[in-house]
Amino acid sequence: MAIIVNLDVMMAKRKMSLNELSDKVGLTLSNLSILKTGKAKAIRFSTLDTICNVLECQPGDILEYVNDEQ
Amino acid sequence: MSKRNNVVFKGLNIVAWLIFIGLCIEAGGLIVNFIFSLFRPESVQNLYQKLDLTEMYKDSKLAFFGIYSFILSISILKVFLFYIVIRLMHKMDLTKPFNTFVSNQILQISYFTLSIGLFSFIARQTAENLMHHGFVTDNLNQFWADSQAFILMGAVIYIIGTIFKKGVEIQNENDLTV
Repeated sequence: MAIIVNLDVMMAKRKMSLNELSDKVGLTLSNLSILKTGKAKAIRFSTLDTICNVLECQPGDILEYVNDEQ
Repeated sequence: MSKRNNVVFKGLNIVAWLIFIGLCIEAGGLIVNFIFSLFRPESVQNLYQKLDLTEMYKDSKLAFFGIYSFILSISILKVFLFYIVIRLMHKMDLTKPFNTFVSNQILQISYFTLSIGLFSFIARQTAENLMHHGFVTDNLNQFWADSQAFILMGAVIYIIGTIFKKGVEIQNENDLTV
């Protein structure tokens, strides 16, 4: 898919584990794993809002667009 | 799921098994009939349904093989149809019925039902055509009596299957929304 999720990069920058993020964001580990591995079909604004709040970053730091055709 | 629904489902499962066994016997009987009418036509009178088409065989081999291939393919398609129904009933989890397996099986049932209907319809027209050419095809009507019902049922099942498939896709998308 053209949208890449860089959640693991931001987590590494903030030195935060998946368990810690799961606790702070209020998402289950399986849902966070779906998001991290890029299997997610959609993300709610509320989820994005909470993740950005916890990781102190912008949505663009987590989501990246890559043109597949290039 | 309520207890009443469970009982109804088990009852339908038994009925499906009975129909499947009946159709297997019918298809097997017709295949044996076909083999005997080729190699020992004098014994056909003692066989299943006494389907004797030896007169037709003598007059036109093309008509004989055409009609028999219709009869055999319709009965074999019916067997496959009920095999899919039974497989669906056995593998379906009634607590979580919405998955790709069930939607694929429903669509397959619709394809088989439509094929049976179309085959029966073409076979009936062919038999009527042969009747105009002097062949006796009255005893064959039982094999393609309800072609329109099958076509209508196939169309309805296809619509249900398509809606089911779309529902499963929406459910999967919803499951992968975080």
